[in-house]
Amino acid sequence: MTTARILSQAREEKRTVLTEIEAKQILAEAGINCTETVLATSREEAVSLCDRIGYPVVLKVSSVDISHKSDAGGVKVNLNSKEEVEKAFDDIMTSCRAYAPDADIEGVAVQSMAKPGTEIIMGMINDASFGPVVMFGLGGVLVEVLKDVSFRIVPIDKNDAIEMTTEIQGKKLLEGYRGQDPADVECLRDMLVKLSDFVDATPGIEEIDMNPVFAYKDGAVVVDARIILSS
Amino acid sequence: MMELFFKPKSVAVIGASGTPGKLGYVIVNNIKGSDFSGDVYPVNPKSDEILGYRVYKSVLEIPGEVDLVITALPTPKLTVMTMEACAEKGVKAVIIESAGFAEMGGDGKVYQEQIVEIAKKNNIRVMGPNCSGIVSRNIVTSIYPMTKKVPNGNVVLIGQSGLLAAGMASDIVENESLNIKQVCSIGNKCDVNENDLLEYFGAQDDVDVISMYLETISDGRNLTKIAKKVAAEKPVIFLSGGRTEAGAKAAMSHTGSIASNAKIVEAAVKQTGMIMADDFTELKDFAKVFSTQPLPKGNRIAVITLAGSVGVNVSDLCASHGLELPKLTEETTEKLKDMFDTPVSNPVDLYFSVTKIGFTKTLETTFPDAFRDDNIDAAVLILAGFEYTQEAVQKKIIQKIVQDVGKPVVVCMIVGYNKYKNVIMDEMGKELPVFPSLISGVKALSKLCEYGIRQQKQSA
Repeated sequence: MTTARILSQAREEKRTVLTEIEAKQILAEAGINCTETVLATSREEAVSLCDRIGYPVVLKVSSVDISHKSDAGGVKVNLNSKEEVEKAFDDIMTSCRAYAPDADIEGVAVQSMAKPGTEIIMGMINDASFGPVVMFGLGGVLVEVLKDVSFRIVPIDKNDAIEMTTEIQGKKLLEGYRGQDPADVECLRDMLVKLSDFVDATPGIEEIDMNPVFAYKDGAVVVDARIILSS
Repeated sequence: MMELFFKPKSVAVIGASGTPGKLGYVIVNNIKGSDFSGDVYPVNPKSDEILGYRVYKSVLEIPGEVDLVITALPTPKLTVMTMEACAEKGVKAVIIESAGFAEMGGDGKVYQEQIVEIAKKNNIRVMGPNCSGIVSRNIVTSIYPMTKKVPNGNVVLIGQSGLLAAGMASDIVENESLNIKQVCSIGNKCDVNENDLLEYFGAQDDVDVISMYLETISDGRNLTKIAKKVAAEKPVIFLSGGRTEAGAKAAMSHTGSIASNAKIVEAAVKQTGMIMADDFTELKDFAKVFSTQPLPKGNRIAVITLAGSVGVNVSDLCASHGLELPKLTEETTEKLKDMFDTPVSNPVDLYFSVTKIGFTKTLETTFPDAFRDDNIDAAVLILAGFEYTQEAVQKKIIQKIVQDVGKPVVVCMIVGYNKYKNVIMDEMGKELPVFPSLISGVKALSKLCEYGIRQQKQSA
C-alpha cells in the first residue's frame, strides 16, 4: 500500500517529482532491491539513524526542488563516524540553502554506502505512442555519451530481458572485465521484469531512473532512484 | 469491415471525370481495366456518362448498395459534404484521396476532424485522406497504370507514401521482380491505420509476406501487440521513416534523455519479431527472399563462388551479419575430392571444377552436393556475368537444383552487368532472389536466417 499512499500524497501536493526516499520505497514494494534510505530531519536524527544503519554512510539532501543534488553540494559520501555525519549534515544544509534559497528542504536522506559493483542504469519512460518503455544499459559517467542501452516496450517477458542484457555493446563488462567480478545478470533480468510488471500495473508514471544500480557477482542494488509522475 | 476495402461488390467514384488525365478519370479507367466485376458508379453532377458507365449526380441517387466509396474531390470542404452523403446512403468504407487535410495544418486539420467525427458517428471506416488507396488485380483506386499485370501474388506492401502505391509498384510489376498481391497507401491515417491492415493481412491465408513503410506510428502500443501475433505466423518487414530524429522532449531522467523515437521503434521491431529494412530496396528485396525461399533451420551458410577473392569478401560479410560458414561434412568432401586439387572447403571455390568439367556440369554436380550437406542450412551462390554462365541460367539448372534441395539460396551477381544483367538479374530474378551486390544478398539471407531461427525457437 506504500506505493498508492505515496502517489496520492504527491498528487495532493501537486508534485510530479518524488523524493529519492519515496522512489526507493515504491521500487522496494515492486520487489526491487534498493539501498536502505531513511529521512533525517535533524542532525541528531541523522546520527542516530547512521548508528542503526552502520557506517560508512551517504547523506543526500532531500528536496523535490533540488534535482541536481551534487551541484548544490547536497551529497556527502563515505562518512565513517558520528562527527563526520554531523559536519556533513550542517554542510549540506548551508550549501543547499545558498544554492537554492527558495527550495523546500525536508532534510537529508541517510543511506548505507553500497560497496562498488558494475555500474548499471535501468529506467523507464512513457512514450506518447508506445506507452511505457523500459531501458537497460551500462551506467557510469559515459552513459550519456555512449548511449549503450537497450529498450523494450512494456510488458516485457524473461526473453526480452535476456535480449536486453545481451544486445548492448558493452555486454562483456557484465561478464567480469580485468579481474572485476562478473555481474549477476540473472538478477538484473529479474529486476527488469519486475520494473516492467510494476509500470504496467501502475498508470501515471512518466519516467523512472535507477542510476546507478550496483551489480555484484551475487545480487544487485539500486543506489540512486528517481521517479517522475505524469502531470 | 476491412473486407469492404479489398473485396467490394460495388464501388462509387465521387469526383469522377470524363477528362482524360484527371484523377477522377484515371481512377474510373483503372477500375474498368482491372478484374473488378462488381458495379461501378461514377458520381459527378455535370456528366451523364464516363467511360461507358452511367454517371450519378450524387451518391444518394445510386440505386443499389455501395460497398466502397472513393473520393477524388478538389476541395476538403466538398469531401466533408460527401462524407455526410455517404453516411446517409449507409456506406461503410470510404477512401479519401484528396490532399489538403491535416498534412497542411490550419483549416485542413479542422476538415479532417470533421471527417473523423462523421465516420465515428456513422460507423464508417475511412482510408486516407491524402492517400492513393489500393492497388491490386481486383480493385485499384490509385493512379497506378498497369492493373492487369498485377500478379495477384503473396506479398502485400503497406505504406504512407503514394510513391509506394504507384511508382514502386509499377516498377515491381513491370520487372516482375516481386510477386505482389496488394499495395496500400494509407496517407494521413485519420482512421484506418497500419494496425488495421496488419491485423487484416495477418489473417489472410493467401498473404505470405507483409512489407510496411511508416513515417508515423499511430498507436505503438497496439502495433506491438498485433505485430507480435502476426510476425509469429508470417514475416513482417518494416521500414521506418524519420528514424534519426533526436529525442526531442525535455526529459527529467537519463532514460528520457537517451530514449529517442528511433530507438524505441527499433526496440519494438526487435521485440515483436518484425524484420527491419533500411531502405525501400530492402523492403522489396527482403520480401522477395521471404516470399520465394523456405525458412532455414539455422545460420550455417555455404558460399559457392568462382573466384577466391569474392569468397573471402562474402565470408567477411557473413561474419559481420551473424552467419556462419561451417566445414562441409567428410562425406561431401570425399565425394567432391576428384573435382578439386585441394580438399573442398567453404567458401566452395568452383574454379578448379569448372576448368575440369565446365561450368554447367559443375553446377549440376558440385553445387548441389555442397548445398545438400548436413552442415549447411542455406547458400549464397555467386554468379559472374560471363558467356559460359548463360547456358546454365537459360536451362534453369540453378532453379531446378534449388527446388530439389529445398533449402534457401540467394544469388549475387558480380561483374558483367552490362551484358548479362537481363539474363541473370531479370530472367532468373523472376524465380530466385538475385542481388546486384554481395552485401545486399548476404544481408537479406541473414534476415531470413534470423527469422527462421526465431520460428524454430517458437515452435520448440
